[in-house]
Parts: sequence; structure tokens; C-alpha cells
Amino acid sequence: MPQQPSTRASASGATARLDARTGRDHKAISTLADDLLPALVAKLAASGLGEIEVREGAWKARLRKPAGTGRSAVRAGAEPYHAPRPAALEHARAEDSRPRPEPAEAEAEDAPIMATSPAVGVFQPRKGLEAGMQVRAGERLGTVDVLGVREEVVSPIDGIIGTSLAESGEPVEYGQGLIVIEMPEKSGRVEVGQAEQEAAAVLGEA
Amino acid sequence: MFNKILIANRGEIALRILRACRTMGVGAVVAYSEADRDSLAAQLADEAICIGPADARRSYLSAPAVISSAIVTGCDAIHPGYGFLAEDEGFAEVVRAHGLTFIGPPPEVLNRFASKEATRRLFEAHGLHTIPGSEMLRDEAHALVEAERIGYPVMIKPAAGGGGKGMRLVRSARELESSLKVSRSEAKAGFGDDSLYLEKYLEETRHVEVQVAVDRHGNAIHLGERDCSVQRRHQKLIEETPSPALSATARQELCQKAVKAVSKAGYESLGTLEFLVDGKGDAYFIEINCRIQVEHTVTEMVTGIDMVRMQIAIAAGERLATKQSDVAPRGHAIQFRILAEDPSTDFQPQAGEILGYLTPGGPGVRMDSHLYPGYEVPSFYDSLLGKLCVWAPDRASAIARGDAALRELLVDGVDTNIELHRAILANQIFVDGKMTTNLLDRVGSAPFVAAGSR
Repeated sequence: MPQQPSTRASASGATARLDARTGRDHKAISTLADDLLPALVAKLAASGLGEIEVREGAWKARLRKPAGTGRSAVRAGAEPYHAPRPAALEHARAEDSRPRPEPAEAEAEDAPIMATSPAVGVFQPRKGLEAGMQVRAGERLGTVDVLGVREEVVSPIDGIIGTSLAESGEPVEYGQGLIVIEMPEKSGRVEVGQAEQEAAAVLGEA
Repeated sequence: MFNKILIANRGEIALRILRACRTMGVGAVVAYSEADRDSLAAQLADEAICIGPADARRSYLSAPAVISSAIVTGCDAIHPGYGFLAEDEGFAEVVRAHGLTFIGPPPEVLNRFASKEATRRLFEAHGLHTIPGSEMLRDEAHALVEAERIGYPVMIKPAAGGGGKGMRLVRSARELESSLKVSRSEAKAGFGDDSLYLEKYLEETRHVEVQVAVDRHGNAIHLGERDCSVQRRHQKLIEETPSPALSATARQELCQKAVKAVSKAGYESLGTLEFLVDGKGDAYFIEINCRIQVEHTVTEMVTGIDMVRMQIAIAAGERLATKQSDVAPRGHAIQFRILAEDPSTDFQPQAGEILGYLTPGGPGVRMDSHLYPGYEVPSFYDSLLGKLCVWAPDRASAIARGDAALRELLVDGVDTNIELHRAILANQIFVDGKMTTNLLDRVGSAPFVAAGSR
């Protein structure tokens, strides 16, 4: 199995911080980092999915495509339907022919994790949902009404409710970020380099 | 007129519809899938909305996604373009149920023309010739009598058929006898129904289609015809108008018959009646397309009429602004479909980043394309990169302009069929205006390219 150097380095960094843990945990992380992650990166790149999660013992790894390529792509702001980045026009009018920067690379680092809209429709957050609340991955945070059919908005991770990006009753588009979900432990983030598809790996206790 | 139109399509046609909306002063919202986020139409539009993932079934083909996006953006009409939901009467019905207008024929009109067989019978009753066929075959003896009546060669066709399954070409009574059983069992296995019928097989046919426009106030006009005989695997490659297969008299007669038939049959909107024209110049109606077509451009070039605009006006309930006597086609136009295909792998569709893109210019040259340098051609949809159209006072000059324009056109980053187009233009059969629909497949595209590059 070819090693993913940065993954391996980061995984052992995470392991060092948790050196009180048992050897069983080390083995689980090793398996995740060496065997499962590369396979997962490949699978995520080939699939249309925005996120994949696997578990090994008490540990799990979640891979998420960076903003712009997966479902977490956002167009928040005053003009939700306006194309924010007229690349074709910029390019056509540019004085030189330098390639435009890859937005995925630039944004991947700081892209917040968000619950996104599953469809085009009208957003309605769950009653009583407030910033600071703890939520579990897959928990229903609200709905998007599509011609009378309610599609669920769910939290992509275990975390804490952050900023709301869409008002109750606001029209939203597919994939639009609706609610920021804060990570309980930001330091657990690990970048997976080398992979064909840029992906952020998150290691954390299940 | 409409206030704001949702453009529920992609690629060059989304751009074409956006341009029509702008010239009419009508608002437009481009609906796009995640794979088309960077598309030119989405970027040029004043408003654009992501309606679903790359998978067309959850975006461009999803009626709830399309209609919901029209409602949340405040549109009062939906333009489906071609393909996807363009001729789906169920979709048109739901659009109307939500208080929106479908830009195309009304649902009941789409429904009337949904069955090819029923449409053929309807137009036959209104004076169009259809390909001679038999009754349902009772047994072998009956089949032999019917084949004799129609005249060989005949095609054995399953009544419940589609996709060529169970179809057999037979040239004699002996072949018919030996093929009937096989066709029957294939039809039974394929469709659960072993009913068969015979249809006259036309060899060396031309594909000629008549463009019509009918409003809901009883006005109907034709905009001439197009010849789409240059095809590969039943896909049109080059379209031109007027058709070199018809004399001026035959053209006039066919167009008049077609417009009379659609008018009587209660059609409404833009429409195209497709015919097969045999070696004797007889035209047989095969089907009607109830949408704007890819090749509408050549008709626009010779008539000077903006057909998308005309289609929108008809859907808005307006009267046709053009009378038949105003339609005066001038000169000759040819369209080349520029496809992302690799000639070295038998024209497999290609995807990838456009590294360089340069469009041709000069008199009578038009390029409808959604490409730009840096654009990523997605692998999820069809391989059409754009349409190059040329116009000239006569066919020979149009061919010369076409070749010059194809030489100028640069698409770098993906393989294209540009060289195949040049090869076809250089071929004597095309120059003589004698292409038939089966020629490219019978000869093969590769020999054309090889001969063209000498």
C-alpha cells in the first residue's frame, strides 16, 4: 500500500498528543491513516458524494470535499442567486493569460463546515434551534419546502450550532450553506495532500 | 409578455435563450446543476440558481427542482430548451398547475403528438404521405401478401418496439419467411408482445425537415426547410438550408403541405416536421419535434427571424408578427455541430479543460457556443461544444466560407470533430449535394478524414 506522506505524519502527530491511549487506539489510527484514508480519498474523488465517513474501533475518519466541488459550496450574501465569480469574464478581460487561482485550494483551508440545502425551495429552521446548541451528525436542523414536500436539512457532523446563513422563510438554492456547524475540537483537522481530489480529513473520537 | 423566464437548460442553448430574453427586455434566470456552476450562461445571467447535483435526473430532468426554482426566483414562465424536459407533456402540465407558462406547445397539444404512430395517422389524414406499412401480421401467409402489396425491401417491426430490437430488413419472400419467427420471439422476449408489422424500407434517403410556427389565434406559417442528411449513427452533424435534394417547386409544395397539416391538426408553437425523401424526390413524414431545434440557426440566417423570440411570443399568447408573405429566405446557410469527440477512438465523447479557444469571424459567420478558455467541459452531459454557422448568397460560397471558418476555429484541450467537418466539405458527394443519411456510417468516418487530409 503506497503511503500518503502528509497523512501519515499528521496521523502520528495526532497520536502523539494522545499518547496516554492504549495501543489498540494506535493501531486503529494506523489502519485509518495507512489503509482506509487513501482508499477513501480515491473513492470520494470518484464519487459524486460530498462526504464519506468510516469507523475503526473507537475511531472514525470523515472526508469532506472542499467548498466549490461538493455540496458544501456556498453562495451566501445579499445576492444569493448571482454568480459570484465570473471566471470566464475575468479571464477574457485579463491583461495577461496567467491561469486563475484554483478556488478549491484557496478555500479548502478555512471553509466552515455547514449544513447545506438539499434542494431548491423555502428554508424553515427547526423550532427552538439556537446558536451554541450541541447537535449530532445526521440530526434534523430544519426543512426546505419543495412544492409542498419538505426535504430535511441535517447536520453533517457532531458539533455546535454556529451562525445562521439563511432566514426562516428565505428561498434557498441547492447546496446553499444554511447553518454553520462549529467543530468542538478544531485542532483535530488533518490535511490530506497528494490526493488527486483535495480533501480535508477529520480525525476524532467516535 | 412574460416578466421573467427560467432557463431550464445548459450549454449553448441556455446562452441562446438568455440572449433572446435580453433583446426582448424580459428578465431571465439561469437554472444550473453543480457541474455547470462555472458555465457561461450562469455567469452572464443577471440571476442564476443552482437546482441540483450534476446528475441530470436530480437537476435538469427533475420537474420539482425546476418548478421550485422558477417559483422562488419569481419567474412566470419556463423555457426548457431542447432535450431534458422539452417535450415532456407531464412536466408541461405540472408547470401550468403551478400557475406558470411552459414555453412550448400547451400540454394537451404535446399529449396529442406524444405517440409517433398516432401522429403519423393524424398527419396522414391531413394530407401528408407516410411510409407505407402493413396491418398487424396475422400469420406468415398474411405477411407475404402484405409485403407484396407494399413492395420489397421491407422492414419487419415489432408493434411494441423501440431501439431496433426485433427489427429485420428483408429483401425477398424467402428472407421474410425465415426472419418472421426470429423477429416474433425477439419481440416477445423484448417487449412481452409478439405483434409485428411491416414497413417499406427506403434506401438512400435524405432527411429533410420543415420548420413551422403556429400561434393560438389560428395563424400558421412555415420558415422553409432544412436538410440534415449528414448524420453519424442517427446523430445530425451538418445541417443546411435550402435542401439540395429539392427543386424550388418541390420545396414550396412540401412546405405548404406541412403547414396546412399542422394547422388542421391543431398544433401550437414552433415545430419541425421531419421527412425522409427518397431517390425519386417523394417525401414521407416520419415525426414532429415539438421544440426549438439545435439547427434552428440556419433558418434564422436565411430568414433573418429570431426564432427563440418567436417561440416565446407564441407561448405568451401573442399573434405571429410575421406573415407567410414576409418570409423570404435568402442565400444558403450551413451549420456544423462542433462536438467534443476523439476521432482516434471512433468518436468517443471527451471531457476536460478548454485551454485555448478562438472563434472564427468574417462575413456570414456565426458561432453559438458556451466555451471560454479555462472552461471545464463536464462529462455528465452531451458532447456539443458549439455550433458554427455560415451564410453566403449561394451553396458553393457557403461551403467555401464554412471551410475557411473551420480552419480558423481553435478548440484546444479536448479532441473535436473539426477535421471531420472539413473532410466532409471536401468530399465530392457533399459538394454535389448528394449526401444520404446512411453514407457516413456505410463508408465510415475515418476514410473521410483520411481522404480529406490528402
